[in-house]
Amino acid sequence: MNVLRWIVFAIAAFAMNFPVIVTLITSFKGAREIAMNPGLLIQAPTFANYAKVLTDTSRFNIYAYLLNSTVAALIGSVLALLLTVPAAYAIVRTGAGRRHLFPLVANLRAVPLVVFAIPLYMMFQFVGLLDTRLGLGLILTIVNLPLSLMMMVNAIADMPGEIDEAARMDRAGAFVILRRIVSPLIRPAVVTAFTFGFITAWNEYLFGLMLTTREAVPVTVGASFFFSASGGGVQWGVASAVMILGALPPAVLGMLIYKQLTGSMTAGAVKG
Amino acid sequence: MTPLVVFLLVFLSFPALVNIVYSLSDVTFQTMRAPEIVGLRNFGEVLIDPEFWAASWFSLRFGVLTAVIECSLGLALAIFLSPIVSRHGWTMAILMLPMMVAASMVGLMYRLVLHEFAGPLPHYLTLWFGTSPAFLDANNAFWTLVVVEVLQWTPFAFLLFHVAYISIPSEIREAAAMDRASAWKIFWRIELPMMKATIAIALGIRFIDGFRVFDNVFALTGAGAGGSTMSLSIYIYQSFFKGGQIGQAVAASALLFLASLVLLYGGALLHSRLGQRRAAA
Repeated sequence: MNVLRWIVFAIAAFAMNFPVIVTLITSFKGAREIAMNPGLLIQAPTFANYAKVLTDTSRFNIYAYLLNSTVAALIGSVLALLLTVPAAYAIVRTGAGRRHLFPLVANLRAVPLVVFAIPLYMMFQFVGLLDTRLGLGLILTIVNLPLSLMMMVNAIADMPGEIDEAARMDRAGAFVILRRIVSPLIRPAVVTAFTFGFITAWNEYLFGLMLTTREAVPVTVGASFFFSASGGGVQWGVASAVMILGALPPAVLGMLIYKQLTGSMTAGAVKG
Repeated sequence: MTPLVVFLLVFLSFPALVNIVYSLSDVTFQTMRAPEIVGLRNFGEVLIDPEFWAASWFSLRFGVLTAVIECSLGLALAIFLSPIVSRHGWTMAILMLPMMVAASMVGLMYRLVLHEFAGPLPHYLTLWFGTSPAFLDANNAFWTLVVVEVLQWTPFAFLLFHVAYISIPSEIREAAAMDRASAWKIFWRIELPMMKATIAIALGIRFIDGFRVFDNVFALTGAGAGGSTMSLSIYIYQSFFKGGQIGQAVAASALLFLASLVLLYGGALLHSRLGQRRAAA
Protein backbone atom coordinates (compact mmCIF):
# COMPACT_ATOMS: atom_id res chain seq x y z
CA MET A 1 0.00 0.00 0.00
CA ASN A 2 2.79 2.41 0.92
CA VAL A 3 4.60 1.58 -2.30
CA LEU A 4 1.49 2.66 -4.16
CA ARG A 5 1.45 5.92 -2.20
CA TRP A 6 5.05 6.62 -3.14
CA ILE A 7 4.28 5.93 -6.79
CA VAL A 8 1.33 8.33 -6.72
CA PHE A 9 3.49 10.91 -4.96
CA ALA A 10 6.21 10.57 -7.58
CA ILE A 11 3.73 10.96 -10.44
CA ALA A 12 2.04 13.98 -8.85
CA ALA A 13 5.35 15.65 -8.01
CA PHE A 14 6.66 15.02 -11.52
CA ALA A 15 3.50 16.31 -13.25
CA MET A 16 3.16 19.41 -11.08
CA ASN A 17 6.83 20.34 -11.37
CA PHE A 18 7.07 19.34 -15.03
CA PRO A 19 7.49 22.87 -16.47
CA VAL A 20 10.23 23.64 -13.94
CA ILE A 21 12.01 20.35 -14.65
CA VAL A 22 11.85 20.88 -18.41
CA THR A 23 13.11 24.45 -18.12
CA LEU A 24 15.93 23.46 -15.79
CA ILE A 25 17.06 20.72 -18.17
CA THR A 26 16.80 22.91 -21.25
CA SER A 27 18.84 25.64 -19.58
CA PHE A 28 21.81 23.28 -19.54
CA LYS A 29 21.51 22.28 -23.20
CA GLY A 30 23.42 23.86 -26.03
CA ALA A 31 21.52 25.41 -28.96
CA ARG A 32 22.36 22.55 -31.30
CA GLU A 33 21.28 19.92 -28.83
CA ILE A 34 17.92 21.66 -28.26
CA ALA A 35 17.26 21.51 -32.00
CA MET A 36 18.17 17.85 -32.26
CA ASN A 37 17.10 16.46 -28.91
CA PRO A 38 14.03 17.95 -27.20
CA GLY A 39 13.93 15.04 -24.72
CA LEU A 40 14.61 15.12 -21.00
CA LEU A 41 18.10 13.58 -21.09
CA ILE A 42 21.05 15.87 -21.70
CA GLN A 43 23.90 14.57 -23.83
CA ALA A 44 26.37 17.42 -23.44
CA PRO A 45 25.53 19.64 -20.46
CA THR A 46 26.80 23.21 -20.73
CA PHE A 47 26.76 26.46 -18.78
CA ALA A 48 26.89 28.48 -21.98
CA ASN A 49 23.31 29.77 -21.62
CA TYR A 50 23.90 31.08 -18.11
CA ALA A 51 27.21 32.57 -19.19
CA LYS A 52 25.50 34.36 -22.05
CA VAL A 53 22.67 35.72 -19.89
CA LEU A 54 25.03 36.89 -17.16
CA THR A 55 27.70 38.43 -19.38
CA ASP A 56 25.92 39.73 -22.48
CA THR A 57 23.72 42.47 -21.09
CA SER A 58 23.75 44.71 -24.14
CA ARG A 59 20.15 44.03 -25.18
CA PHE A 60 18.49 42.78 -22.02
CA ASN A 61 20.06 43.34 -18.65
CA ILE A 62 19.11 40.50 -16.35
CA TYR A 63 20.82 42.20 -13.39
CA ALA A 64 18.55 45.21 -13.77
CA TYR A 65 15.43 43.03 -13.83
CA LEU A 66 16.53 41.06 -10.78
CA LEU A 67 17.43 44.24 -8.91
CA ASN A 68 14.10 45.85 -9.81
CA SER A 69 12.24 42.79 -8.56
CA THR A 70 14.27 42.73 -5.36
CA VAL A 71 13.77 46.40 -4.54
CA ALA A 72 10.08 46.47 -5.42
CA ALA A 73 9.38 43.23 -3.55
CA LEU A 74 11.27 44.52 -0.49
CA ILE A 75 9.22 47.72 -0.48
CA GLY A 76 6.05 45.74 -1.02
CA SER A 77 6.65 43.30 1.81
CA VAL A 78 8.22 45.65 4.39
CA LEU A 79 5.77 48.50 3.91
CA ALA A 80 2.83 46.10 4.15
CA LEU A 81 4.11 44.98 7.55
CA LEU A 82 4.78 48.54 8.74
CA LEU A 83 1.17 49.34 7.95
CA THR A 84 -0.46 46.18 9.24
CA VAL A 85 1.38 45.55 12.52
CA PRO A 86 0.09 48.75 14.22
CA ALA A 87 -3.32 48.30 12.64
CA ALA A 88 -3.51 44.69 13.77
CA TYR A 89 -2.52 45.73 17.30
CA ALA A 90 -5.29 48.32 17.38
CA ILE A 91 -7.81 45.88 15.95
CA VAL A 92 -7.01 43.19 18.50
CA ARG A 93 -6.57 45.34 21.60
CA THR A 94 -9.14 48.10 21.09
CA GLY A 95 -11.49 46.46 18.62
CA ALA A 96 -11.30 49.56 16.44
CA GLY A 97 -11.87 48.74 12.79
CA ARG A 98 -12.86 45.18 13.56
CA ARG A 99 -16.25 45.56 11.95
CA HIS A 100 -15.39 47.44 8.79
CA LEU A 101 -11.69 47.96 8.18
CA PHE A 102 -10.63 44.37 8.80
CA PRO A 103 -13.20 42.76 6.50
CA LEU A 104 -12.56 45.45 3.88
CA VAL A 105 -8.84 44.70 3.73
CA ALA A 106 -9.29 40.94 4.06
CA ASN A 107 -11.75 40.91 1.17
CA LEU A 108 -9.34 42.80 -1.06
CA ARG A 109 -7.79 39.43 -1.71
CA ALA A 110 -10.88 38.45 -3.65
CA VAL A 111 -11.05 41.52 -5.87
CA PRO A 112 -9.52 41.11 -9.32
CA LEU A 113 -6.39 43.27 -9.32
CA VAL A 114 -7.00 44.53 -12.82
CA VAL A 115 -9.85 46.62 -11.43
CA PHE A 116 -7.32 48.92 -9.76
CA ALA A 117 -4.81 48.84 -12.54
CA ILE A 118 -6.26 51.53 -14.81
CA PRO A 119 -6.92 54.24 -12.20
CA LEU A 120 -3.55 53.56 -10.60
CA TYR A 121 -1.95 53.95 -14.00
CA MET A 122 -3.57 57.40 -14.29
CA MET A 123 -2.60 58.32 -10.76
CA PHE A 124 1.00 57.24 -11.27
CA GLN A 125 1.25 59.10 -14.52
CA PHE A 126 0.06 62.21 -12.73
CA VAL A 127 2.58 62.02 -9.88
CA GLY A 128 5.43 60.60 -11.96
CA LEU A 129 5.55 57.16 -10.38
CA LEU A 130 5.10 55.26 -13.63
CA ASP A 131 8.04 53.00 -14.41
CA THR A 132 9.66 53.44 -10.99
CA ARG A 133 10.55 50.78 -8.44
CA LEU A 134 8.91 52.81 -5.71
CA GLY A 135 5.65 52.94 -7.66
CA LEU A 136 5.69 49.21 -8.28
CA GLY A 137 6.58 48.60 -4.62
CA LEU A 138 3.61 50.68 -3.46
CA ILE A 139 1.26 48.59 -5.59
CA LEU A 140 2.80 45.39 -4.31
CA THR A 141 2.08 46.67 -0.82
CA ILE A 142 -1.63 46.70 -1.66
CA VAL A 143 -1.34 43.18 -2.99
CA ASN A 144 0.25 42.05 0.28
CA LEU A 145 -2.04 43.90 2.70
CA PRO A 146 -4.85 41.32 3.09
CA LEU A 147 -2.78 38.30 4.04
CA SER A 148 -0.33 40.39 6.02
CA LEU A 149 -3.11 41.93 8.10
CA MET A 150 -4.75 38.57 8.73
CA MET A 151 -1.49 36.99 9.81
CA MET A 152 -0.64 39.91 12.11
CA VAL A 153 -4.10 39.91 13.68
CA ASN A 154 -3.79 36.17 14.32
CA ALA A 155 -0.31 36.57 15.80
CA ILE A 156 -1.25 39.42 18.13
CA ALA A 157 -4.45 37.71 19.19
CA ASP A 158 -2.39 34.67 20.21
CA MET A 159 -0.10 36.86 22.31
CA PRO A 160 -0.81 36.91 26.06
CA GLY A 161 -2.50 40.25 26.82
CA GLU A 162 -1.00 40.77 30.29
CA ILE A 163 2.43 41.73 28.99
CA ASP A 164 1.52 44.84 27.07
CA GLU A 165 -1.26 45.51 29.57
CA ALA A 166 1.46 45.95 32.21
CA ALA A 167 3.40 48.26 29.94
CA ARG A 168 0.34 50.35 29.35
CA MET A 169 -0.13 50.62 33.12
CA ASP A 170 3.36 52.08 33.23
CA ARG A 171 2.19 54.73 30.77
CA ALA A 172 4.35 53.49 27.91
CA GLY A 173 3.27 55.02 24.59
CA ALA A 174 1.67 52.87 21.92
CA PHE A 175 4.69 53.20 19.65
CA VAL A 176 7.09 52.10 22.38
CA ILE A 177 4.88 49.15 23.28
CA LEU A 178 4.75 48.11 19.64
CA ARG A 179 8.48 48.37 19.14
CA ARG A 180 9.76 47.06 22.45
CA ILE A 181 7.16 44.52 23.48
CA VAL A 182 4.88 43.42 20.68
CA SER A 183 7.40 43.19 17.86
CA PRO A 184 9.79 40.76 19.57
CA LEU A 185 6.90 38.53 20.61
CA ILE A 186 5.43 38.22 17.14
CA ARG A 187 8.77 38.05 15.34
CA PRO A 188 8.24 34.51 13.94
CA ALA A 189 4.91 35.55 12.40
CA VAL A 190 6.51 38.72 11.03
CA VAL A 191 9.30 36.72 9.41
CA THR A 192 6.78 34.39 7.80
CA ALA A 193 4.59 37.25 6.61
CA PHE A 194 7.63 39.05 5.25
CA THR A 195 8.84 35.99 3.34
CA PHE A 196 5.43 35.19 2.00
CA GLY A 197 4.90 38.82 1.01
CA PHE A 198 8.28 38.92 -0.70
CA ILE A 199 7.46 35.79 -2.70
CA THR A 200 4.04 37.13 -3.67
CA ALA A 201 5.48 40.50 -4.67
CA TRP A 202 8.34 38.96 -6.62
CA ASN A 203 5.90 36.79 -8.55
CA GLU A 204 3.47 39.58 -9.40
CA TYR A 205 3.08 40.15 -13.13
CA LEU A 206 0.07 42.26 -14.11
CA PHE A 207 1.22 45.53 -12.53
CA GLY A 208 4.77 45.02 -13.68
CA LEU A 209 3.41 44.66 -17.17
CA MET A 210 1.17 47.73 -16.98
CA LEU A 211 3.15 50.17 -14.89
CA THR A 212 6.72 49.64 -16.05
CA THR A 213 8.26 50.01 -19.48
CA ARG A 214 12.06 50.38 -19.29
CA GLU A 215 13.61 51.40 -16.02
CA ALA A 216 11.71 49.42 -13.39
CA VAL A 217 10.82 46.23 -15.29
CA PRO A 218 10.69 43.27 -12.88
CA VAL A 219 12.03 39.88 -13.86
CA THR A 220 8.60 38.32 -14.39
CA VAL A 221 8.04 40.79 -17.22
CA GLY A 222 11.68 40.94 -18.31
CA ALA A 223 11.75 37.18 -18.83
CA SER A 224 9.13 37.46 -21.55
CA PHE A 225 11.38 39.88 -23.48
CA PHE A 226 13.74 37.00 -24.15
CA PHE A 227 10.96 35.25 -26.03
CA SER A 228 10.32 38.04 -28.46
CA ALA A 229 14.04 38.65 -28.93
CA SER A 230 15.79 39.25 -32.25
CA GLY A 231 13.84 37.96 -35.27
CA GLY A 232 13.93 34.27 -35.99
CA GLY A 233 13.23 31.65 -33.38
CA VAL A 234 13.37 31.91 -29.64
CA GLN A 235 16.72 31.01 -28.12
CA TRP A 236 15.27 28.39 -25.85
CA GLY A 237 18.43 27.73 -23.89
CA VAL A 238 18.95 31.38 -23.02
CA ALA A 239 15.26 31.91 -22.26
CA SER A 240 15.32 28.86 -19.97
CA ALA A 241 18.33 30.15 -18.08
CA VAL A 242 16.55 33.47 -17.56
CA MET A 243 13.41 31.75 -16.28
CA ILE A 244 15.40 29.63 -13.85
CA LEU A 245 17.24 32.68 -12.53
CA GLY A 246 13.94 34.54 -12.13
CA ALA A 247 12.18 31.64 -10.44
CA LEU A 248 15.04 30.74 -8.11
CA PRO A 249 14.76 33.41 -5.37
CA PRO A 250 11.10 32.79 -4.46
CA ALA A 251 11.55 29.02 -4.80
CA VAL A 252 14.53 29.00 -2.44
CA LEU A 253 12.77 31.26 0.06
CA GLY A 254 9.68 29.09 -0.09
CA MET A 255 11.66 25.92 0.51
CA LEU A 256 13.44 27.52 3.47
CA ILE A 257 10.27 28.33 5.32
CA TYR A 258 7.70 25.98 3.84
CA LYS A 259 6.86 24.58 7.28
CA GLN A 260 5.79 27.96 8.61
CA LEU A 261 4.08 28.74 5.30
CA THR A 262 1.97 25.62 5.66
CA GLY A 263 0.61 26.90 8.94
CA SER A 264 0.13 30.54 8.06
CA MET A 265 -1.29 30.03 4.59
CA THR A 266 -3.97 27.82 6.00
CA ALA A 267 -4.57 30.18 8.92
CA GLY A 268 -5.03 33.05 6.50
CA ALA A 269 -7.26 31.00 4.26
CA VAL A 270 -9.41 29.56 7.00
CA LYS A 271 -9.99 32.81 8.85
CA GLY A 272 -10.53 34.80 5.67
CA MET B 1 -4.16 52.13 12.60
CA THR B 2 -4.01 55.59 11.09
CA PRO B 3 -1.22 54.88 8.59
CA LEU B 4 -3.13 51.95 7.16
CA VAL B 5 -6.28 54.01 6.82
CA VAL B 6 -4.44 56.84 5.08
CA PHE B 7 -2.74 54.39 2.74
CA LEU B 8 -6.05 52.78 1.91
CA LEU B 9 -7.69 56.13 1.31
CA VAL B 10 -5.01 57.16 -1.15
CA PHE B 11 -4.67 53.88 -2.97
CA LEU B 12 -8.23 52.63 -2.96
CA SER B 13 -10.64 55.52 -2.75
CA PHE B 14 -8.88 57.58 -5.38
CA PRO B 15 -8.93 54.71 -7.87
CA ALA B 16 -12.55 54.08 -7.00
CA LEU B 17 -13.36 57.71 -7.71
CA VAL B 18 -11.43 57.69 -10.98
CA ASN B 19 -13.18 54.49 -11.92
CA ILE B 20 -16.59 56.02 -11.38
CA VAL B 21 -15.82 59.21 -13.28
CA TYR B 22 -14.10 57.51 -16.20
CA SER B 23 -16.69 54.80 -16.53
CA LEU B 24 -19.19 57.58 -17.19
CA SER B 25 -16.96 59.53 -19.56
CA ASP B 26 -15.78 59.63 -23.10
CA VAL B 27 -12.05 59.54 -22.56
CA THR B 28 -8.91 58.58 -24.47
CA PHE B 29 -5.21 58.84 -23.61
CA GLN B 30 -5.25 62.37 -25.02
CA THR B 31 -8.20 63.64 -22.99
CA MET B 32 -7.36 61.88 -19.74
CA ARG B 33 -7.23 65.06 -17.67
CA ALA B 34 -10.49 66.44 -19.03
CA PRO B 35 -12.96 63.61 -19.45
CA GLU B 36 -16.31 64.43 -20.98
CA ILE B 37 -19.21 62.97 -19.08
CA VAL B 38 -21.43 60.84 -21.29
CA GLY B 39 -23.50 58.97 -18.74
CA LEU B 40 -23.96 55.25 -19.02
CA ARG B 41 -22.93 54.94 -22.65
CA ASN B 42 -19.72 53.03 -21.84
CA PHE B 43 -21.64 50.44 -19.90
CA GLY B 44 -24.03 50.06 -22.82
CA GLU B 45 -21.15 49.59 -25.23
CA VAL B 46 -19.51 47.01 -23.00
CA LEU B 47 -22.75 45.13 -22.52
CA ILE B 48 -23.39 44.81 -26.25
CA ASP B 49 -19.79 43.83 -26.98
CA PRO B 50 -19.78 40.10 -27.81
CA GLU B 51 -16.10 39.95 -26.78
CA PHE B 52 -17.02 41.05 -23.28
CA TRP B 53 -19.51 38.22 -22.96
CA ALA B 54 -17.10 35.73 -24.48
CA ALA B 55 -14.48 36.83 -21.93
CA SER B 56 -16.98 36.58 -19.07
CA TRP B 57 -17.96 33.10 -20.18
CA PHE B 58 -14.30 32.11 -20.41
CA SER B 59 -13.57 33.39 -16.90
CA LEU B 60 -16.64 31.81 -15.35
CA ARG B 61 -16.09 28.44 -16.98
CA PHE B 62 -12.37 28.56 -16.23
CA GLY B 63 -12.96 29.50 -12.59
CA VAL B 64 -15.57 26.81 -11.94
CA LEU B 65 -13.74 24.03 -13.75
CA THR B 66 -10.33 24.67 -12.26
CA ALA B 67 -11.74 25.11 -8.75
CA VAL B 68 -13.67 21.84 -8.89
CA ILE B 69 -10.84 19.84 -10.46
CA GLU B 70 -8.16 21.28 -8.16
CA CYS B 71 -10.21 20.62 -5.04
CA SER B 72 -11.19 17.07 -6.05
CA LEU B 73 -7.62 16.19 -6.94
CA GLY B 74 -6.24 17.98 -3.90
CA LEU B 75 -8.63 16.19 -1.57
CA ALA B 76 -7.90 12.78 -3.05
CA LEU B 77 -4.15 13.38 -2.86
CA ALA B 78 -4.32 14.81 0.66
CA ILE B 79 -6.09 11.73 1.99
CA PHE B 80 -4.18 9.14 -0.01
CA LEU B 81 -0.74 10.66 0.61
CA SER B 82 -1.34 11.75 4.19
CA PRO B 83 0.64 8.84 5.75
CA ILE B 84 3.79 9.65 3.82
CA VAL B 85 3.45 13.45 3.80
CA SER B 86 2.95 13.72 7.56
CA ARG B 87 5.97 11.49 8.16
CA HIS B 88 8.33 12.96 5.55
CA GLY B 89 8.19 16.75 5.53
CA TRP B 90 10.30 17.11 2.40
CA THR B 91 7.54 15.55 0.28
CA MET B 92 5.34 18.51 1.19
CA ALA B 93 8.10 20.89 0.13
CA ILE B 94 8.31 19.25 -3.28
CA LEU B 95 4.55 19.40 -3.79
CA MET B 96 4.50 23.07 -2.75
CA LEU B 97 7.28 24.08 -5.14
CA PRO B 98 5.00 24.83 -8.13
CA MET B 99 3.17 27.48 -6.06
CA MET B 100 6.40 29.34 -5.38
CA VAL B 101 7.07 29.97 -9.06
CA ALA B 102 5.38 32.99 -10.61
CA ALA B 103 2.28 32.01 -12.57
CA SER B 104 3.49 34.14 -15.48
CA MET B 105 6.82 32.33 -15.40
CA VAL B 106 5.00 28.99 -15.47
CA GLY B 107 3.05 30.26 -18.48
CA LEU B 108 6.32 31.06 -20.24
CA MET B 109 7.76 27.68 -19.27
CA TYR B 110 4.84 25.95 -20.96
CA ARG B 111 5.67 27.77 -24.17
CA LEU B 112 8.80 25.67 -24.10
CA VAL B 113 7.15 22.49 -22.82
CA LEU B 114 4.51 22.56 -25.57
CA HIS B 115 6.65 23.91 -28.40
CA GLU B 116 6.31 21.69 -31.45
CA PHE B 117 10.06 21.48 -32.10
CA ALA B 118 11.82 22.29 -28.83
CA GLY B 119 9.19 20.99 -26.43
CA PRO B 120 9.61 17.60 -24.73
CA LEU B 121 5.88 16.88 -24.52
CA PRO B 122 5.17 16.92 -28.29
CA HIS B 123 8.50 15.13 -28.76
CA TYR B 124 7.54 12.20 -26.54
CA LEU B 125 3.94 12.07 -27.70
CA THR B 126 5.11 11.85 -31.31
CA LEU B 127 7.71 9.27 -30.36
CA TRP B 128 5.26 7.05 -28.51
CA PHE B 129 1.95 7.63 -30.28
CA GLY B 130 3.04 8.97 -33.66
CA THR B 131 1.13 12.20 -33.23
CA SER B 132 0.85 15.20 -30.94
CA PRO B 133 -2.15 17.54 -30.66
CA ALA B 134 -1.88 21.27 -31.35
CA PHE B 135 -2.15 22.25 -27.70
CA LEU B 136 -2.67 25.94 -28.30
CA ASP B 137 -5.02 26.09 -31.27
CA ALA B 138 -8.47 27.57 -30.85
CA ASN B 139 -10.13 24.26 -29.95
CA ASN B 140 -7.59 22.98 -27.46
CA ALA B 141 -6.18 26.12 -25.86
CA PHE B 142 -8.90 26.34 -23.22
CA TRP B 143 -8.29 22.82 -21.98
CA THR B 144 -4.54 23.21 -22.14
CA LEU B 145 -4.85 26.27 -19.91
CA VAL B 146 -7.13 24.42 -17.51
CA VAL B 147 -4.50 21.70 -17.15
CA VAL B 148 -1.73 24.30 -16.70
CA GLU B 149 -3.68 26.05 -13.96
CA VAL B 150 -4.71 22.81 -12.27
CA LEU B 151 -1.17 21.45 -12.19
CA GLN B 152 0.17 24.62 -10.61
CA TRP B 153 -2.57 25.22 -8.02
CA THR B 154 -3.78 21.78 -6.97
CA PRO B 155 -0.99 21.98 -4.35
CA PHE B 156 -2.86 24.86 -2.70
CA ALA B 157 -6.01 22.77 -2.25
CA PHE B 158 -3.86 19.82 -1.27
CA LEU B 159 -2.18 21.88 1.44
CA LEU B 160 -5.45 23.10 2.97
CA PHE B 161 -6.95 19.60 2.93
CA HIS B 162 -3.81 18.01 4.32
CA VAL B 163 -3.89 20.30 7.34
CA ALA B 164 -7.64 19.79 7.83
CA TYR B 165 -7.31 16.03 7.45
CA ILE B 166 -4.52 15.51 9.97
CA SER B 167 -6.29 17.73 12.49
CA ILE B 168 -9.26 15.35 12.68
CA PRO B 169 -8.77 13.71 16.12
CA SER B 170 -7.56 10.14 15.67
CA GLU B 171 -9.93 8.93 18.42
CA ILE B 172 -12.87 9.59 16.13
CA ARG B 173 -11.42 7.37 13.43
CA GLU B 174 -10.47 4.70 15.95
CA ALA B 175 -13.95 4.67 17.43
CA ALA B 176 -15.47 4.28 13.98
CA ALA B 177 -13.03 1.51 13.12
CA MET B 178 -14.01 -0.18 16.37
CA ASP B 179 -17.59 -0.19 15.12
CA ARG B 180 -16.32 -1.96 11.99
CA ALA B 181 -17.06 0.98 9.74
CA SER B 182 -15.30 0.56 6.39
CA ALA B 183 -12.67 3.11 5.35
CA TRP B 184 -15.05 4.30 2.65
CA LYS B 185 -17.83 4.81 5.14
CA ILE B 186 -15.55 6.64 7.57
CA PHE B 187 -14.61 8.97 4.74
CA TRP B 188 -18.18 9.75 3.68
CA ARG B 189 -19.81 9.85 7.10
CA ILE B 190 -17.09 11.34 9.28
CA GLU B 191 -14.09 12.81 7.51
CA LEU B 192 -15.85 14.56 4.66
CA PRO B 193 -18.43 16.30 6.89
CA MET B 194 -15.67 17.41 9.24
CA MET B 195 -13.74 18.96 6.37
CA LYS B 196 -16.78 20.66 4.84
CA ALA B 197 -15.79 24.18 5.88
CA THR B 198 -12.26 23.78 4.49
CA ILE B 199 -13.64 22.42 1.23
CA ALA B 200 -15.96 25.42 0.87
CA ILE B 201 -13.09 27.83 1.52
CA ALA B 202 -10.74 26.07 -0.88
CA LEU B 203 -13.40 26.04 -3.60
CA GLY B 204 -14.08 29.73 -3.01
CA ILE B 205 -10.44 30.82 -3.14
CA ARG B 206 -9.63 28.69 -6.17
CA PHE B 207 -12.72 29.92 -8.00
CA ILE B 208 -11.83 33.55 -7.38
CA ASP B 209 -8.27 33.03 -8.55
CA GLY B 210 -9.44 31.15 -11.62
CA PHE B 211 -12.11 33.70 -12.42
CA ARG B 212 -9.70 36.63 -12.39
CA VAL B 213 -6.92 34.70 -14.13
CA PHE B 214 -4.41 36.79 -16.07
CA ASP B 215 -0.73 35.90 -15.61
CA ASN B 216 -0.32 32.38 -16.93
CA VAL B 217 -2.91 32.75 -19.68
CA PHE B 218 -1.44 36.01 -20.92
CA ALA B 219 2.13 34.72 -20.76
CA LEU B 220 1.27 31.51 -22.58
CA THR B 221 -1.18 32.58 -25.26
CA GLY B 222 -1.86 36.29 -24.91
CA ALA B 223 -5.47 36.67 -25.91
CA GLY B 224 -4.35 34.42 -28.74
CA ALA B 225 -5.74 31.30 -30.28
CA GLY B 226 -8.35 33.34 -32.10
CA GLY B 227 -9.42 35.20 -28.97
CA SER B 228 -10.46 31.89 -27.45
CA THR B 229 -8.37 32.47 -24.35
CA MET B 230 -9.43 35.99 -23.43
CA SER B 231 -10.34 36.14 -19.75
CA LEU B 232 -12.12 39.15 -18.28
CA SER B 233 -8.86 40.48 -16.84
CA ILE B 234 -7.25 40.20 -20.26
CA TYR B 235 -10.26 41.84 -21.91
CA ILE B 236 -9.89 44.85 -19.62
CA TYR B 237 -6.15 45.02 -20.13
CA GLN B 238 -6.53 44.82 -23.91
CA SER B 239 -9.26 47.40 -24.24
CA PHE B 240 -7.20 49.78 -22.13
CA PHE B 241 -3.77 49.41 -23.71
CA LYS B 242 -4.41 48.16 -27.19
CA GLY B 243 -7.74 49.77 -27.90
CA GLY B 244 -7.21 52.94 -25.89
CA GLN B 245 -10.91 52.78 -25.05
CA ILE B 246 -10.38 53.87 -21.49
CA GLY B 247 -14.01 54.54 -20.70
CA GLN B 248 -15.03 51.10 -21.85
CA ALA B 249 -12.14 49.40 -20.11
CA VAL B 250 -13.02 51.11 -16.86
CA ALA B 251 -16.71 50.34 -17.27
CA ALA B 252 -15.83 46.69 -17.80
CA SER B 253 -13.64 46.67 -14.71
CA ALA B 254 -16.44 48.30 -12.72
CA LEU B 255 -18.73 45.51 -13.84
CA LEU B 256 -16.11 42.97 -12.85
CA PHE B 257 -15.77 44.64 -9.46
CA LEU B 258 -19.54 44.52 -9.02
CA ALA B 259 -19.59 40.85 -9.97
CA SER B 260 -16.88 40.03 -7.44
CA LEU B 261 -18.77 41.95 -4.74
CA VAL B 262 -21.89 39.93 -5.49
CA LEU B 263 -19.87 36.72 -5.33
CA LEU B 264 -18.21 37.77 -2.08
CA TYR B 265 -21.46 38.76 -0.49
CA GLY B 266 -23.12 35.58 -1.67
CA GLY B 267 -20.24 33.56 -0.31
CA ALA B 268 -20.40 35.30 3.06
CA LEU B 269 -24.15 34.77 3.23
CA LEU B 270 -23.77 31.10 2.42
CA HIS B 271 -21.04 30.83 4.99
CA SER B 272 -23.14 32.34 7.78
CA ARG B 273 -26.12 30.18 6.76
CA LEU B 274 -23.99 27.08 7.06
CA GLY B 275 -22.71 28.35 10.38
CA GLN B 276 -26.23 28.88 11.68
CA ARG B 277 -27.30 25.45 10.60
CA ARG B 278 -24.32 23.96 12.35
CA ALA B 279 -25.12 25.93 15.49
CA ALA B 280 -28.73 24.74 15.34
CA ALA B 281 -27.76 21.10 14.89
